[in-house]
Amino acid sequence: MDARRWIRAGALGGVVTIFLALVGLIGNFTGLRLVGEQITFARLMLVSAPLVAGLIVAAPRIEGGTRRAATLSEAIRGGAVAGAAAGAVFALGILFTDWIGDERVRRIFLNVSPQLMEFVTFEQAAGVGAAIILALSAAAGLLGGVLRVAPATIRRPVTAALSVTLLFGFLQRVIPIAFDQIGLERDWLYSASLGGLTWIGALVIAAASAGVSIVNSRYGSRLRGRFAGRPDTGPGVRPTTLVLGAAVLGLLIAAPQLLGSVISEVLGSVMVFALLGIGLNIVVGYAGLLDLGYVFFFALGAYAVALLTGATLNAFGIAPEPAISLGLNFYVAIPFVMLLAAVAGVLVGAPVLRLRGDYLALVTLGLGEMVTVLVGSPWLVPLVGGPSGMRGITDAGIGGLGFRQPQQFYYLALAFVVLAMFVSWRLAASRIGRAWTAMREDEQTADAMGINIVRFKLLAFAMGGAVGSLGGALFAVKIGSLTPASFQVLVSIQVLGLVILGGMGSLPGVIVGALVLVGLPGLLREFEEYRLLAYGAAVVAVMVLRPEGLVPNVRRSRELHEEEAEQDAWVKAEEPAAEGTPA
Amino acid sequence: MGEGRGARGRRDAGMSKATAGTEAPVLEVRDLQKHFGGLYALSGLDLHVNEGEIVSVIGPNGAGKSTLFNVVTGIYEPDEGGIRYRGQSLVGLRPHQIVRLGLARTFQSVRLFPNMTVLENAMVGQHCRSKTGVFGAIVRTPGVRQEEERIRERASAALSFFGKRLSGYREEQPAFALSYANRRRLEMARAMATDPQLILLDEPTAGMNPRETLELRDNIVRMRDELGLTVIVIEHDMRVVKGVSDRVIACDYGRKIAEGTYEEVANDEQVIEAYLGRGHGAKDD
Repeated sequence: MDARRWIRAGALGGVVTIFLALVGLIGNFTGLRLVGEQITFARLMLVSAPLVAGLIVAAPRIEGGTRRAATLSEAIRGGAVAGAAAGAVFALGILFTDWIGDERVRRIFLNVSPQLMEFVTFEQAAGVGAAIILALSAAAGLLGGVLRVAPATIRRPVTAALSVTLLFGFLQRVIPIAFDQIGLERDWLYSASLGGLTWIGALVIAAASAGVSIVNSRYGSRLRGRFAGRPDTGPGVRPTTLVLGAAVLGLLIAAPQLLGSVISEVLGSVMVFALLGIGLNIVVGYAGLLDLGYVFFFALGAYAVALLTGATLNAFGIAPEPAISLGLNFYVAIPFVMLLAAVAGVLVGAPVLRLRGDYLALVTLGLGEMVTVLVGSPWLVPLVGGPSGMRGITDAGIGGLGFRQPQQFYYLALAFVVLAMFVSWRLAASRIGRAWTAMREDEQTADAMGINIVRFKLLAFAMGGAVGSLGGALFAVKIGSLTPASFQVLVSIQVLGLVILGGMGSLPGVIVGALVLVGLPGLLREFEEYRLLAYGAAVVAVMVLRPEGLVPNVRRSRELHEEEAEQDAWVKAEEPAAEGTPA
Repeated sequence: MGEGRGARGRRDAGMSKATAGTEAPVLEVRDLQKHFGGLYALSGLDLHVNEGEIVSVIGPNGAGKSTLFNVVTGIYEPDEGGIRYRGQSLVGLRPHQIVRLGLARTFQSVRLFPNMTVLENAMVGQHCRSKTGVFGAIVRTPGVRQEEERIRERASAALSFFGKRLSGYREEQPAFALSYANRRRLEMARAMATDPQLILLDEPTAGMNPRETLELRDNIVRMRDELGLTVIVIEHDMRVVKGVSDRVIACDYGRKIAEGTYEEVANDEQVIEAYLGRGHGAKDD
């Protein structure tokens, strides 16, 4: 029985490897060195699926109602079998391609390049290459299996060391720049000729992260216990929180100087999306209204700022001035933009008040799409320039100091994000937040307990819209010109993705989500064309492995694990019935 | 006034002591009708409840008792008939508006906010008695802080109605972690936290063991004696009905079939028939 399970997991891994090869994630990255000359991204991809298969087959399972960890021998056998199965499937793929000729496969799968074939056969004959793949995969699977059953004291540091080192390897374009900015020597860490980490650098990083991991698992819970803040409502602020907050703030303020212009630019995008995320989090996370048309507020904020601050049309042949151009100062315009967005939120919310779940999502999706069509339509050319958009948007300057440059923009965005987080936090911790939570958990009961559902739904749309429009306003300042191409449905999906990834209803989660989904792709420019693939994979992985998100809101997390909670509650409910005796 | 219109004439002689008052009733329901498709859940129900009374509504399953609650609290709109609370019509008001007027309820199937803490559940009850808006919530003015403090105290006080069962460390527990009986208690505490004058309890002892049931019987009486609430309770446990009721109203097929003291109603032929079917002798509890 077990063997069949191992082989099935492994075969799936093999299919994943074939997929990675077909989309080009192996063949196009044979030159991307992560550590030294040996560890390249392509090689990593080749063994990653068997490794994961090994991890999975050695994971604890529920058998006959009890959770049972795999023994070492099971893990070794299972990992090796699963890895070998993965290798076999991939090897079959190689042999098949070789048999019918790779140039014929290439007609459909463009990424099956001679380079790829050369790489996966280790420049040998196809049969020899397949055998090497089989052996390598079996070894990787075995390693995964052993790692999974190793005691936590070993497993955690090893995992930390491996993942942090690889992350540093990936960030080879970013971290050296930061080192240069601060004026640190970096040749020991990153090889100037090969690009990736040097072996010495890799060892230092691995040792450091393993060390941190060990300290964390030994003393972490004690430290956390001391520093733990109350998640939602905290009447008093502790001094430790204050010190920690000040340190974080100091780091945030120093960041652009430390990291340089390229990373600051990426951070600027992260902040714009974080603002959108904070806004959508109010609608989706707090009030539980699934809104797939959030790009609406993004576009509204951007175009409203452009119109209010006196941007000009980008169109030829007609007057360069838009129909309305008030020429307001950016900071005077912002309150009007937010007000406008809040009103728009109410207008969008009103017709969908009676809808829930899927239906609400569908209708909002349509509303969002309307915006894209509208701003690009010939009908609105005199107002917003139609397909060619607008330009000459204010740089939000104060006393001649503009905010268009990445490093300056960062500060403007930071200020807005901090403000939005503060507002969002205060709302969540108030009577209003309580009403939203109650409404999310049980709308009808909330109504019967005195909460005006209509009002609080509209309030959520209005507040979410107002915060989201800030994101749009900042985006306009950052780019300086607008075209409808920036306001596609994809924005809605991305923002929802980062809210879900971070953890619905969690403010730190929004920031982490934005960093992961916007920041990482921004830093890893090599993977630009795989960005959406990574998005999808990340969201699916989070939904399967950690549905509450990376930094969950305690309550939302419980809602998503309702089933377990109910079972738990049922068990508890049985107790008093058992102990109770008739009086 | 409205008493006894739907009931048979001979029961008018046996009015209970509590209905004899001269004050206008707190709640008055006249000729209430509600159908779902062809099903007549309520067909011409009349009843009234006086200040400080505990009235039990009994009847077999499907008699329309819960529908009555749902219509009175605004969850359903009646097809016909009138509902007046202290002279004001409730027909057409939304549930949250009715709570504001001073009517609170519990549900037959416990409906808490399971992932909010016990205290937060009760604090939701105070929602309709507070008014902090967006601006206040963001700026947190002294007035808002005071209000929040007051909400917290009021909710805590409502929880302490059940002694230590919902107080202390339990306040910070999520509602789903409570035992079944405690969930029912929390639902009542949440209703009491809305500062009601009239409370409607829908089968408060369902699923409780005998000891808990007896305790709850005392609690219902305390609601009136200590908090001055008027109580309407739907109940199947006849010991509770007997123990708490100033007046009992029996319903069947969406109409009132009997009304009076517990003894009067319990010995009413129509009531016995409704519970046991035709052809059974008098039932002794």
